[in-house]
Amino acid sequence: MIDTADTDVLILGAGGAGLCAALHAADASPKLRVTVVVKGLLGRAGCTRMVQGGYNAVLGAPDSLEAHFLDTLAGGGWINDQDLVWTLVSEAPGRVLELESRYGCLFDRTPEGRIHQKPFAGQTHDRTIHKGDLTGIEIMNRLAEQALARANIQALEECRAVELLRDGDGRAAGALVLDCRAGRFQVLRARATLLAMGGGPTMYRVIACSADKAADGIALAYRAGLQLRDMEMVQFHPTGLVIPGSLMTGALLEEGLRGAGGHLRNGRGERFMERYDPARMERSTRDLVARASFTEVVEGRGTPNGGVWIDVSHLGAAVVERNFRGMVKRCRDFGRDLAREPVEVGPTTHFMMGGVVIDTACRTAVEGLFGAGEDTGGVHGANRLGGNGVAESTVFGGIAGDVIAESVLATPMPQVNAAALEASARRLTAPLARPATGDLYDLQRELRDVMWEKVGLVRDGDGLREALAAIDRIAARLEGVGVPGGAAFNLAWQDWLNVVNQTAVARLIALSALERCESRGAHWRRDFPAAAPGPLFTVRAGLRGGAPAVWTEPVALTRAAPGVSAPASSMVEIGD
Amino acid sequence: MPSTVALTVARYRPERESEPTFQTYEIPFRKDWVVLDALNHVKDELDGSLSFRWSCRMGVCGSCGMKVNGTPKLTCATFLSDYVPAPIRVEPLDYFPVVRDLVVDLTDFMRKLKQVKPWIIRTEEKPPAEGEYLQTPDQLDTYKQFSMCINCMLCYSACPIYGLEPSFIGPAAIALAQRYNMDSRDEGAAERLKILSEHDGIWQCTFVGECTKVCPKHVDPAGAIQQYKLTGATRWVKSLLLPWGTR
Repeated sequence: MIDTADTDVLILGAGGAGLCAALHAADASPKLRVTVVVKGLLGRAGCTRMVQGGYNAVLGAPDSLEAHFLDTLAGGGWINDQDLVWTLVSEAPGRVLELESRYGCLFDRTPEGRIHQKPFAGQTHDRTIHKGDLTGIEIMNRLAEQALARANIQALEECRAVELLRDGDGRAAGALVLDCRAGRFQVLRARATLLAMGGGPTMYRVIACSADKAADGIALAYRAGLQLRDMEMVQFHPTGLVIPGSLMTGALLEEGLRGAGGHLRNGRGERFMERYDPARMERSTRDLVARASFTEVVEGRGTPNGGVWIDVSHLGAAVVERNFRGMVKRCRDFGRDLAREPVEVGPTTHFMMGGVVIDTACRTAVEGLFGAGEDTGGVHGANRLGGNGVAESTVFGGIAGDVIAESVLATPMPQVNAAALEASARRLTAPLARPATGDLYDLQRELRDVMWEKVGLVRDGDGLREALAAIDRIAARLEGVGVPGGAAFNLAWQDWLNVVNQTAVARLIALSALERCESRGAHWRRDFPAAAPGPLFTVRAGLRGGAPAVWTEPVALTRAAPGVSAPASSMVEIGD
Repeated sequence: MPSTVALTVARYRPERESEPTFQTYEIPFRKDWVVLDALNHVKDELDGSLSFRWSCRMGVCGSCGMKVNGTPKLTCATFLSDYVPAPIRVEPLDYFPVVRDLVVDLTDFMRKLKQVKPWIIRTEEKPPAEGEYLQTPDQLDTYKQFSMCINCMLCYSACPIYGLEPSFIGPAAIALAQRYNMDSRDEGAAERLKILSEHDGIWQCTFVGECTKVCPKHVDPAGAIQQYKLTGATRWVKSLLLPWGTR
């Protein structure tokens, strides 16, 4: 029998979105019991913490909300949900001031003591608020401390939601939660539930994001019948470290190295960007540079370890060591001297633009279920601007907390069919009951390879269909995997749950990519290398009749249209 | 360089054994591998039952702190090549209860962290709509370093005082208290002083500085403790002499 516990507000995920939601809901009424479920330790798991660059918010002239709005749409290939974008840019200034004044975040300052804003190329103004190049740690530590300060917030650490629950009327009813330490399931009933588990494209071979992610929230939403959008839009960053066989592979070397004049060379020593973007060379857009590097490697012109060289040594060792101290250290740890010699880098999978469809109040199609952050889609369209990620998660997390708090106490506690959940628990624990098979990590490697090679930076119809067939085979074999050990703190079992979710979301990415027969933003089809003429559309995905389905819907140009007022942008920066 | 290395790992499975035991695995030696790579190799290829804690893999989350050959380390930033050809021994952090294998229970720290009130305390809160507090780069510099803490608990595991006296509030919590005390937006130093002074531990800290030596983020908790002792003692004396106004 699975234990049941009740809470008023159930928040799945504790990154920028989850904790801002928790703080807003808890502050709206001390009577509200808020429960936060986090896969790792409070404040220390997930990707908000990984943010280096910073937080985009308009704090005054000459910048404007309109400029931030148009920059975001231009970066997103104009398929963004414009109302969500407007919400992002208009709420970001208030949220970042809340982070500063109420939550105590340390941000770098001007000599006059005001918040410092740095330029991120691709944005028309100096807009990005930061703490050096470690902005995320500061934001997450302060948010976690704020959560500690509130008696009505309870954090369940090292717990993960494994199924979203609905009551007999189809309303959200909470979640089935697995306590990973004890290996026990618990039904958490709630009057309102927020999905804020942070996406995470870890189904690819090379990743920049926190390794604990597995697109869990998106997989849960898909199984619960929610509509997803833009799943084909996966962002690749061009300069991840290449360290064969090491976990550190894919960790970012920052964009500024190219901005400062760094050269990229292939294995033959050629500055290959000459062939892809002779005007801008290495300062071209990230998606283009990432794709160019990938092409060089695929066509046999890569470095010995399958990357390209980034070379900043001609800037002078002293300059590099002064301006890129963190990057020099990161390379030195691996025996590379960034200041004096070329270092191997390659594209790395960074962010999922797609996710659950929400409205500007973070509502999903299921009553009582809300979404915020990387689990949701629409804010970034086909590509995300650097600095818009943490802005999105904190802005929409806060909104979700406010909206939930307004109505939740008047909502009755939903009823849950506990008998059905016994079956779920049995299905999820099946690998523990089977003899260990030893093939889990082979399957994960296979998934990551096929996603990287066929659903990655360069795609085509044949490759995507082959990938879908491979994904189906992997999914079928996962059903037979057995893992050793018991249920308590069993990493292999947790990894099985991860790979099952990664596989489900991988299928949605591949299906959506097959549906978009054009190239736009982060999505590039070798067989359709240009943007399609005709009306803009989004690709939607969801569960229809027990099987995954994709279809398209027109983009509503509710506030602006492309070509009319888009600001000139020399370089689209799409980092953290 | 050898082609393999002996990795000895502390095992503790409470349903099976009452005391921790050790298990040795032979793993390939690769010069780019960190200890966390080796642990994952054990999990993925040799023994899927090994439990350890990690999240980000790149020195940001602070989850993978363990003892490597006796010294508290972030295992994602500790290279096998620093030890080989000597064998490598991985154990859970000292002074915390072991949950399983290399995983420790950090409840004690979370409780202590909360006690030092690590948040901005003001008699009057300024509405965010009025704009940010002014804070010059010089003012930031007084507490920036303490704000680098990632709660990895290496300093607790290295602290001889915490080992002897578990009630000691500990290096990271004091550094974080000092982070707020030194923050020009904060007015809560007196409130925190009361809490910190209740615990004997802080006065026992002999500035051995083990906490600062192991800190992967150069927070210098030992410096925070000395700084705190100085300002704390001054305030304490003042509060006896001038009980009506010590701020």
